Amino acid sequence: MNTRRLLGLDILKEKYRYANDPQFGHMSAQKIPDRWVKTTCGYCSVGCGMLIGVKDGQAVSVRGDEEHPVNAGKLCPKGLSEHYTLRADGRLRQPLLRKNGKLEPVSWPEALEALVTNFRAVQAKHGREALGVISTGQLLTEEFYALGKLVQLGFRTRNYCGNTTLCMAAAAAGYKRSFGSDGPPGAYQDFETADVIFLIGANIADNHPILCQHVERNKAKHLVVVDPRVSKTAMLANTYLPIAPRTDIALLNGMLHVLIREDLIDHAYIAAHTNGFAELAASVAKYTPEFVAQITTLSPQQIVDAALLFGRAERPFLAWTMGVNHSSQGAETVNAICNLSLVRGKVGLSGASPFSITGQCNAMGTREAGFTSSLPGYRKFESAEDRAELAALWNVDVETIPSARGLAYPDIIEAMVKKQVRALWIIATNPLVSFPNQGLLRQAMGELDFLVVQDGYHPTPTTELAHLVLPAAIWGEKEGTYTNSERRVSKANRAVDPPGQARTDFDIFLLIAGRLGVKDSLFPNWTGPKDAFEEWRRVSAGRLCDYSGITYELLDREGAIQWPYREGDPIEVTRLYANGVFQFPDGKAKLIPIEWLPFPEQPNERFPFVLNTGRTVEHWHTRTKTGRVEILEFMSPKAWLEMNPHDAEKLGLRPHDQVDVVSRRGRVREVELRITAIVGPGQVFLPFHYAEFNSNFLTQSAFDPISREPNFKQSAVRVEKSGVQR
Amino acid sequence: MSLPLLERAIAEADPRFVLSTTKLPPPPGPGEQYRFHFDMTKCIGCKCCEVACNEQHGNPADIHWRRVGEIEAGEYPFTQRLHLSMGCNHCVDASCLKGCPVDAYNKDALTGLVLHSADACIGCQYCTWNCPYGVPQFNEERGVVGKCDMCHGRLTQGDEPACANACPEQAIAIEVVNIEQWKLEYQALANAPGMPPADQTISTTRITLPANLPANAQKGDFHRVRPEHPHWPLVFMLVLTQLSVGTFCRLLLDPGQAGAIAALLIGHLALAASTAHLGRPIHAYRALKMWRRSWLSREVLAFSLFAGAATLYTATQSFAIGAATVIAGLIGIACSAALYLVPARPAWNSWTTVAEFYLTAVLLAGAPKLVPIAAAAQLVVLAFKYLRFHQSEEFELRQSARLLGNDLKELVWLRIVLLVGGALFSSHPASLLPLLAGEILGRYLFFVGVVPRNMAATFGGRKVA
Repeated sequence: MNTRRLLGLDILKEKYRYANDPQFGHMSAQKIPDRWVKTTCGYCSVGCGMLIGVKDGQAVSVRGDEEHPVNAGKLCPKGLSEHYTLRADGRLRQPLLRKNGKLEPVSWPEALEALVTNFRAVQAKHGREALGVISTGQLLTEEFYALGKLVQLGFRTRNYCGNTTLCMAAAAAGYKRSFGSDGPPGAYQDFETADVIFLIGANIADNHPILCQHVERNKAKHLVVVDPRVSKTAMLANTYLPIAPRTDIALLNGMLHVLIREDLIDHAYIAAHTNGFAELAASVAKYTPEFVAQITTLSPQQIVDAALLFGRAERPFLAWTMGVNHSSQGAETVNAICNLSLVRGKVGLSGASPFSITGQCNAMGTREAGFTSSLPGYRKFESAEDRAELAALWNVDVETIPSARGLAYPDIIEAMVKKQVRALWIIATNPLVSFPNQGLLRQAMGELDFLVVQDGYHPTPTTELAHLVLPAAIWGEKEGTYTNSERRVSKANRAVDPPGQARTDFDIFLLIAGRLGVKDSLFPNWTGPKDAFEEWRRVSAGRLCDYSGITYELLDREGAIQWPYREGDPIEVTRLYANGVFQFPDGKAKLIPIEWLPFPEQPNERFPFVLNTGRTVEHWHTRTKTGRVEILEFMSPKAWLEMNPHDAEKLGLRPHDQVDVVSRRGRVREVELRITAIVGPGQVFLPFHYAEFNSNFLTQSAFDPISREPNFKQSAVRVEKSGVQR
Repeated sequence: MSLPLLERAIAEADPRFVLSTTKLPPPPGPGEQYRFHFDMTKCIGCKCCEVACNEQHGNPADIHWRRVGEIEAGEYPFTQRLHLSMGCNHCVDASCLKGCPVDAYNKDALTGLVLHSADACIGCQYCTWNCPYGVPQFNEERGVVGKCDMCHGRLTQGDEPACANACPEQAIAIEVVNIEQWKLEYQALANAPGMPPADQTISTTRITLPANLPANAQKGDFHRVRPEHPHWPLVFMLVLTQLSVGTFCRLLLDPGQAGAIAALLIGHLALAASTAHLGRPIHAYRALKMWRRSWLSREVLAFSLFAGAATLYTATQSFAIGAATVIAGLIGIACSAALYLVPARPAWNSWTTVAEFYLTAVLLAGAPKLVPIAAAAQLVVLAFKYLRFHQSEEFELRQSARLLGNDLKELVWLRIVLLVGGALFSSHPASLLPLLAGEILGRYLFFVGVVPRNMAATFGGRKVA
């Protein structure tokens, strides 16, 4: 501090001056940019349009895009402070290679040499599939598409998956089983036109706050929130159904039981557009309201009321997110939801659909561009026809395209423990915070011969373990497209240059392809993301997720567009399956009988609480970004554990006590206790963002057999006052 | 002074003003002002308003001119967790404005907004004690206070405030209110669980509450008590001015120039110390300005007179000047005490503050015979104070009792030990040291042990400036 400031002669008037921005009016002068760059938010899948203010080559502010159909100018607190992520401390500026146990800066050529040599060596010694790759819904579609080709056709390993498996794999798998393909049928507009909205395991007020404005605009709706925790979203409900943890299948089956009993189903639609009704009806015969009441802890009347509300609605909309997906019965829960919409013939109509709210900004784009759980364009590994089609499009030998998917994320980790996967490449994700059962994960990581982590930041708990760290550009520093929950393709643009020697993920993939000698065969004449997008348009043409009519020019001119959008037939399709024709060969959807099962790890005397995990509005995932944004950290600096007052009283715990949370697998120390009636007796809630209080030391290795999504919720735990040994 | 809003209201041809008719209500007429409306039934606690506010004003992360708080009521599953979002309440009877020693505040003639001038402000932070909502916040980096001005600059361009603009749920709006009408209505419309009573300053913010919200909804930070800022320069300023005044009282009856020189030096040191409290010490003299209204101005005035008279008395040893010195000093202590009698800080707002300050003067006057009596009296005052806190119906006082009885317990005991020890050995000249240390510690506890009135905060957020 200088003398003038100490004396009080200087009050930093220049810094705190206001001025007029031509577009946004009166504001802090230091936030007024030279130019505003249109882009799309890089956090969640809501897909808000925004502008980055750039001044002297630095991002100084962001504003919501008032013309964007998703957010109409609004942004959540993370979006409103997103420009800070670009200038945050801890940005990676150069490649780092571990030498004598220490990560040291190296040149790009040396880094690429290390990557290719080590991957090749492992593959030569242990087989091609000893290389595993875990990527992310944070990448742009162009990058994800290029990476898929590089991994599957360049490195020739099938053991490739994304962090999206920790997020919405259940939704994708569920759609495939019910409708014959991935692809959410509904749109955000449906929140505005529905007469009854069910939000199942979806705390949108914390996790997707900008969606709330679509719900809020709908004045005539009846909103039902199904959640064991009285979330912020539950507070918005006309009807709140506090079900016991993970009893949603029982509730959904119970509702179906009542619909059939009361004949509130569309027989004509069922006959014309579905298969399997008889088996389904038989399967829910035992789910009487009384039976379901025992499981869910709701009253039989609540179940009947919910069913009648749904059954009599003209436009019922069923939306869900992680409460459903984060389950070892996740895909089946999605099927149980789809069953309800199908028996009423309410799929793909205005205000009426089953609808998954996705997680990451481009989880959808990665589902479509594929190469993990399916081939690009929702094609199937198993289909010879699909493989032949792709081989022709790419001009490659059809034999190079795998005929079955490789290992999913949790299975790659298990294969690491078994030393079957010996080298791993992690891109823009942070499993050392986000993956369940950290004890096992750390053991698996220790078995690796070579670990490459590509990220925008260092250190993260994951980069710290790496043999090689590649510095990547992040949102705001690269160009491409994101696709949001409602299949809307939005352009993300480069506003500023990446720091130091950091390169875009796209460039890194092409550099590696060059070093690997597959650049010309896989990426002929590619120089930028637009080349990838042009190829993706051709690859997706004629598929359900048809991008062929979408161009960068069109996106820049018209704004975000929903797929399918066909070349030569450029009509925006707001909803899928409105005609009742599904993606199975006979065009009919499948009604799938689903049995409710108790969650895998039931509480007992030693571990009496059911641990629920979730988010808070200020933070994104593992806080790699938001933990570096001062105002977000200020508002939510550390984790807390929510416990019902009755339980706290029994344990003799007081508010703000430091407690340890203990499961069979680990212990999270010194969490601040929040005694609150928003969680029910016998349940506790811990946010999962905080590496320092990592809930994933407690969570279990229980995965959905269908989608491979982890059962992040419902671990059996006990709570002890910190420092007190029992 | 230019009134852009008024000018724009007249210059109706201005296209930006045409815009204003859609985003803003028309400018207030005579007897009216702008106010916020907050709809708790719509707020989802997303905190967009908080971040947008900081971006609009370029404020650092620890300053939040708009804050979101939490309140909770009910038993699972009928629990209600609701949110408050508040900027400035642009009060009818704004206590920030009334206490300001330099007239840095004004209630804008056209809009009724409570506006603050960073240029005029000297960073004394008295307004931060006076406001029951924690609205004015001291910006360490600038050395001045700042506060929500309803984005006055945006209003002049016909734009709604940044918070209202950012709210995805349209929970924040601005409205025009008739002030006389509001005085009849505000009890029902401005009060909310988690908010201090609106009648202290007649808050103008209209709050729409859910129909079935219990009045006893608990603040999100109900169980969190954080010590307040110690204000070390003020700790020394108060104790040392009181020592100096006490000593001059003794010297009037038992003159001695050496003692006077010491007391004078300490008095000047105390006043110099007080300027270190200011964000802008160079402008300390401005604090005299509002002596007709502000106790802080009066304190500065009284102690300036005291210092002048004391200097003359030390040089001349004239009884008349000595008497003037003592009178000015005793008035100065009264002003000191009076300025802490603010409703927004209930722990201070009691005769005990006055008693504590005068007893410090007696204890440190260098009069051994008076020390045991004064120490006993000080103990009684302390005991009374803690008992009052403990048994109070007022949330903030009970919180003060918790703070002093738990987190600060050891220091409270040390303060008592120093006081009693000093008194027991009062015949020994060295006893002045434990007594002085005890009073300094006492004043430190006075500052850190106060729990201000404020709106509900969140459970886990850090403390704003």
